Amino acid sequence: MSREFNIDYVFSFIPKMLSYLHITLFIVASSLVLGLIIGLLVALPRMYNIPFLKRVSQVYVSFFRGTPILIQLFLVYYGLPELLKLVDINSSRWDVLWFAVATYALNSGAFISEIIRSGVEAVDRGQIEAAQSVGMSGYQTFTRIIMPQALAVVIPIFSNLVIGNLKDTSLAFTIGAMEMTGKSQTLGSATQHFVETYIALSLIYLVISLILQKLFRVLENTLLRHEHRDEVQKEPEKRKSFVVRYLRSPRLSKGGKGI
Amino acid sequence: MSLDFGFIYTAFLGLFSALPNTLMITVVSVLAGLVIGMITALARIYKVPVLSQVSHGYVTFIRGTPMLMHLLLIYFSLPLLIDAGAKHFGWPLQSKDVPYMVFALISFSITSGAYMSEVVRSGIQSVNKGQIEAAYAVGMTTWQVLRRIVFPQAFVVSLPNLTNSVIGMLHGSTLAFTVSVTEIQAQAEILASTNWKYLEVYIAAALLFWGLTVLIERISGLVEKKINVFNGGRAS
Repeated sequence: MSREFNIDYVFSFIPKMLSYLHITLFIVASSLVLGLIIGLLVALPRMYNIPFLKRVSQVYVSFFRGTPILIQLFLVYYGLPELLKLVDINSSRWDVLWFAVATYALNSGAFISEIIRSGVEAVDRGQIEAAQSVGMSGYQTFTRIIMPQALAVVIPIFSNLVIGNLKDTSLAFTIGAMEMTGKSQTLGSATQHFVETYIALSLIYLVISLILQKLFRVLENTLLRHEHRDEVQKEPEKRKSFVVRYLRSPRLSKGGKGI
Repeated sequence: MSLDFGFIYTAFLGLFSALPNTLMITVVSVLAGLVIGMITALARIYKVPVLSQVSHGYVTFIRGTPMLMHLLLIYFSLPLLIDAGAKHFGWPLQSKDVPYMVFALISFSITSGAYMSEVVRSGIQSVNKGQIEAAYAVGMTTWQVLRRIVFPQAFVVSLPNLTNSVIGMLHGSTLAFTVSVTEIQAQAEILASTNWKYLEVYIAAALLFWGLTVLIERISGLVEKKINVFNGGRAS
């Protein structure tokens, strides 16, 4: 640790870590896809007020939002094999990566279910009634009226979730998954240049977050292009009102996630 | 599945000894974060020349990188700086004299500052411009406007976000185990490896965190109700 700081190491470490980028991105992508499925399944009982399942999904969401992801990682890592043993599946030879994916998927599922719920609730009821009064079917109402508006409202929150997931993957190394942070640990201990390792790693995370942010900004603008076409000049005003809208729904934001 | 339920309870009690450290990390980082956040947010809102660019860079960097990176960067680079300073300027301080907890607190405060900055900024910007102009019109000074008009309303609006940040820091405190600070996560690891009962210990730790989180949410809900009295009791 007492070796001199040498900036050259930062540049030589970056390509080495980038060779593990695909694993990090794989965790993010697979947890999002699985999380979307889980989130939808969990959101439905609460939106349609199904008696018992509603409670179950409430507890699920509360638990995954109320505990640190690090604890969840260890719970899944030690708990899932025990559960699988009950149905005679031996998971001892599985790659730890799958346990990481399972944790992040369960975790995102809880947040995504809240996002889906809030998005649908953000759509004005009067519009749905209006759509039905002009003779649209339930499916048409959903795809033409509810979904476009709900999507536009939730994109910023979804963007936060994706970036949060990206940052959370840095914890997967604690159960031994070999992604970018895991690689940085081995690089650091092999060369004893820890500061350089973590600077390189931070830069990689920063660039990916910024790219994701830009992509979502573009997506949001595309989805909101129908709104206030004549008020484009009043950009600051519009942003402020959005912030207010965002803040007025206290359960929207991500809670203890993505830090 | 052989789950030792009795041990979950034992572990739960065992984890309590690490609770003060967890709470200290949370409270210190939230309070220090609020101060940093307030300064950076005001610098950006009032467009203070150099300070606002620096603040922007700081917030972007911190929000774009994992909290673990901040912790490890501080943990490995600060001792180098301290020792270099001790060597060149004859500081009486050596990096080995600094407790690990201090590194964790510094790093988490820096993390929390960036998130708080966004909370404060969105809160302040949600206050109606007309009210601020009206306050100036009746002759209030900028400080009076901030204190009497802007901050109270901004606080009400940003309470949910503030709660989320507190919970975020509570959950983030688990990372301190990587720099050998004995908070709940580290204590759980110790208990688990000495008793060879991993699952039970982590269930207990999860329950403890879950309880703390629900408690914070309840308190925030009560406060929200109270401060919204002027608003007819509705959430703003």
